[in-house]
Amino acid sequence: MLPFEVLFRPGEPVYEQVIYAVKKAIATGKLHPGSRFPAVRTLSQELRINPNTAHKVVSALTGEGVLLVHPGIGTVIAPPVAGSVEDRTALLEDELERLVVEARRLGLDEDKIVNAVRKHWRKFPKIS
Amino acid sequence: MNAIECNNLCRSFGRVTAVNDLTLAVPVGSFFALLGPNGAGKTTLLKLILNLLRPDSGSAHVLGCDSMRLKSKNFRRIGYVADGQDLPDWMTVAQLLDYCRPLYPTWDEELARRLSKMFDLPTDRPIKKVSRGMRMKAALLSNLSFRPELMVLDEPFSGLDPLVRDDFIQGLLELPDDDCPRTFIVSSHDIDEVERLADDVGFLSEGRLLIHESADLLRDRIRRVEVVGKGVAALALEAAPKEWMEVKRPAENVLQFVHDAFARDTTESKLLAMFPGASVTARTMSLREIFLVIARKQRIEKGREAA
Repeated sequence: MLPFEVLFRPGEPVYEQVIYAVKKAIATGKLHPGSRFPAVRTLSQELRINPNTAHKVVSALTGEGVLLVHPGIGTVIAPPVAGSVEDRTALLEDELERLVVEARRLGLDEDKIVNAVRKHWRKFPKIS
Repeated sequence: MNAIECNNLCRSFGRVTAVNDLTLAVPVGSFFALLGPNGAGKTTLLKLILNLLRPDSGSAHVLGCDSMRLKSKNFRRIGYVADGQDLPDWMTVAQLLDYCRPLYPTWDEELARRLSKMFDLPTDRPIKKVSRGMRMKAALLSNLSFRPELMVLDEPFSGLDPLVRDDFIQGLLELPDDDCPRTFIVSSHDIDEVERLADDVGFLSEGRLLIHESADLLRDRIRRVEVVGKGVAALALEAAPKEWMEVKRPAENVLQFVHDAFARDTTESKLLAMFPGASVTARTMSLREIFLVIARKQRIEKGREAA
């Protein structure tokens, strides 16, 4: 059993869907920093995905700093990103801009979109 | 390095050209899905690769060996499971395994036991008395157990129930890859089965390979686009760019088409330059949708040639 779920949708690249599922599992507290991440083979067998794709998922997540590889021990979930609040916010610049652009295109105003973000924020449990 | 290389391969049966000047390379360690409607030439192509049929012209190389010179020592490295395959029906599954074991120096008894258990096979019943799904699983078991470097699967999922299909896929993924990289070539008319497994996909139609590229690139490149704006009404549909397929204007302000060469960075701005003030949305398509669009386009072009 994997410690996270992936609901595959046809059309989107498989590795992007798995990467997102892992990030979401961390955001919702299903995966904790320091806990073991499945090996490439396990990932491939459990999700019924190509081993090359599973490998791509692990390298991408390691590259982004979401996973840490400890030689001899295995792969674990990395601790949350360090740095000032400003630095960490800066990592989301692109996504935030994209959200604002889409919101404006759909004719939503500032309050509506802030409320919608808040609603999603509260859907997730608090992680200390 | 390529596990399979076909060069200008041709094969006809009477007046029907089953494989038509086909050139293909499948790199070692990849999973290649050969897709196409029934009668497209998938089975013929796989049989040519395995020297079960001889080409009229052209050549195929398999694991570095000319297909027409494949000998038993080569076949010990190649697994083959096909829908409706001949099996020694009078044997039980256990007898089949006993029969295969000494033929293959790379036979992995531990793997054979693990797969047998996973597949839940009745080992003491004659193969002719087991269900279709069990029969396919027995064929797969006897092939995976010698850890083939190349696995050729012809329509392995057809007529199998979802649970058996899942067992089957799990079995494929169970094959270890620590000693050498494994290559898979799987033909199927059921695209959904292979969408999550395939590195590369090939679309075969009337013996020709219409498309051969990475599944991810294909999904990136072909997108369903919708443009909404006043400028759209002025476009003559016949004058649409040639990389637009299935162009439709369901309403005066709405233009829909399938883009054959979508680029994340540039296509949207190009469309906005064509239709100032319009809104553009592009969405990804499943391999199934992509396949249907390409097949329809092929049919239209053929109709034009005939006319």
